[in-house]
Amino acid sequence: MSAKASPDAVPFSEARIPDDDFARMREENLARWPTGAGVDFEAAVDRHLALPEHKRLGFVMRRADAEGRCLTQPRGGFATFEMQKELMQALDRDGLADVVPTTTDSYTRNERWPQAEAGVEESKKLGRSMLNGFPIVNYGVDICAELVAAIDKPAIVLSGTAMPRLTSEIVLAGGYSGYLGSGIAYTTSYTKEVSIEDGIRNYQYLDRLAAMYAERGVDLHRRQPGFLTGTNIPPCIAIVVAVLDVLLAAGQGVRNYGLELGQALHLIQDSAAIHACRELCQEYLEKKGYDDVFTPVISLHWMGAWPYDDAQAAALLAYGGTLGAVGGAVSVTTKSTHEAFGLPTPEKNVEGLKITRMAIYLARHTRLDDNPEFLEEKELIGREVRPIVDKVLEMGDGDAALGTVRAIEAGVLDIPWSPNRQCQSRILPARDTDGYLRILEAGDMPFPKDVLEIHEAKLRRRAERDGVPYDQDLAVTSVFEMSEKLADLMPFAWGEGH
Amino acid sequence: MTAAEAAGGSPHRTLITGVIGSDTHIVGTRILSMGLEKAGYKVVALGALTPAEEFVKAAIETDADAIMISSLYGQGELDCRGFRDLCVEAGIGGVLIYVGGNLVVGKQSWAEVEQRYLDMGFDRAFPPDTRLDGVLVALAADFSTRGQVEKEVG
Repeated sequence: MSAKASPDAVPFSEARIPDDDFARMREENLARWPTGAGVDFEAAVDRHLALPEHKRLGFVMRRADAEGRCLTQPRGGFATFEMQKELMQALDRDGLADVVPTTTDSYTRNERWPQAEAGVEESKKLGRSMLNGFPIVNYGVDICAELVAAIDKPAIVLSGTAMPRLTSEIVLAGGYSGYLGSGIAYTTSYTKEVSIEDGIRNYQYLDRLAAMYAERGVDLHRRQPGFLTGTNIPPCIAIVVAVLDVLLAAGQGVRNYGLELGQALHLIQDSAAIHACRELCQEYLEKKGYDDVFTPVISLHWMGAWPYDDAQAAALLAYGGTLGAVGGAVSVTTKSTHEAFGLPTPEKNVEGLKITRMAIYLARHTRLDDNPEFLEEKELIGREVRPIVDKVLEMGDGDAALGTVRAIEAGVLDIPWSPNRQCQSRILPARDTDGYLRILEAGDMPFPKDVLEIHEAKLRRRAERDGVPYDQDLAVTSVFEMSEKLADLMPFAWGEGH
Repeated sequence: MTAAEAAGGSPHRTLITGVIGSDTHIVGTRILSMGLEKAGYKVVALGALTPAEEFVKAAIETDADAIMISSLYGQGELDCRGFRDLCVEAGIGGVLIYVGGNLVVGKQSWAEVEQRYLDMGFDRAFPPDTRLDGVLVALAADFSTRGQVEKEVG
């Protein structure tokens, strides 16, 4: 494994990293792998300012939001430059993607750059990608610039890591104008041993770096991966984390911050979540004195287990477009009919984009605005989120960074199915009779009693309907549900009602 | 053998579970571990992001009967190469080794993928739509054909 950056001397808090400390941190960081030497901040600022507006994600997100449009963005990364360039061009030209991605491979995400290097060689030898993404640190700044130049859309890096320091330096210097990742969401979802404190510190570094670009007139788009572990995450959990992550980003000076929500696959719950997410983030930003942070919500195609049947998967793709558009998301992040099998070919990735875009088109301007169930669900999310966020902040004496670390240790903030050792991961979600995601077991999260009673009542109704015990199996079957064969999901039990 | 019979069999067996390599997908291995425990096995769950060496170390320390490797992110093919050799070198060459999940990058023919892993020395490879019952049946069958003797020799 590559050498770790030395521990930062800056005391841990939500406060902005002082400039002199940050300069020293950057110097140490860039020295960790040879390509770090290719980062030249002044040249990078010039590179961004020379990009046309439609290739700057910060601008594109603001414009889409102002115009009420719903964009599409896929995921995608392969092991070599040639494969990656071809993929990005296909997504741009054939898939009509509004935002073109580069997903990093899992060795890069864990800063195992020598292993990534070996993966590149192996892929070249075999003629197929042996890595699940693009090893962007190994390739360096100039290759990033070539990839950005090869497309006519803004480029975003999807990095799935709690250790974004070097990756972000290199891609931002190379002209990528978007970066997905955050300290709480990714550390609790993508790591086992990384402490929450280190994860937050790593993203404070990236957020300070993004803000440094902003101070020079480069409006980068930072984005928070609220999908978390991707497995039946109830909206309230995603939104609690989104609120805390955006407070941390704002603390470093970030003003353009997207909030991702994985789809629950329920029209009303997803619409309610999208609206509640933005409103609650703005509510807490305002409480902290920030009135100028742009927080568009991005809706993500189903993040759990996918069906193996192409037709079933296509339904999730189209429905996901509908969910994003009707819910008022500014962008939908897409998957493909190959999702159950892993990474899609460029052709299948393109197909996923087109299916989604058509569904978005058909949704037109349909919104649920005054629908009573929508309003009720949105209100419920607020009643779930506020007590948790308030308790987290109280535990940090008002500091979101300290509060988060203490709250996760205490289980006050908990993430379902988390691989991180610091996370209790006792909270367990399950799907109710009507298809809403609910909380089966709350662990030590201090939800109000009346709120938990609502969740329990709805899940007990499902147990009764299915004729199964009210236990953890409700959560397990909910994990598999969307991947089951159509024959096992149909027919409905006609006449039995709810 | 039915799933119910398999679920009741083979007590006192120790199984190692975990996700190999730089892979964070924990849900499958956690559900598998819950189910194996419920079926009466002693389960040592190593969780996500587990290096190959740690599986072997845990298997030696607990005198495990089987190692159940999960991989979902596509890079398992790189992570799993030489796994049987690691076991042989550590003196547990005869241990039962299963692997399951999305075992390669992208959609490839399962028959070819399975053969690739069997050639690598895995006793069984399971496709991504595997459920607990299938694993329990396979374990019971393999343990009954192997018997206690082979474990001691291995």
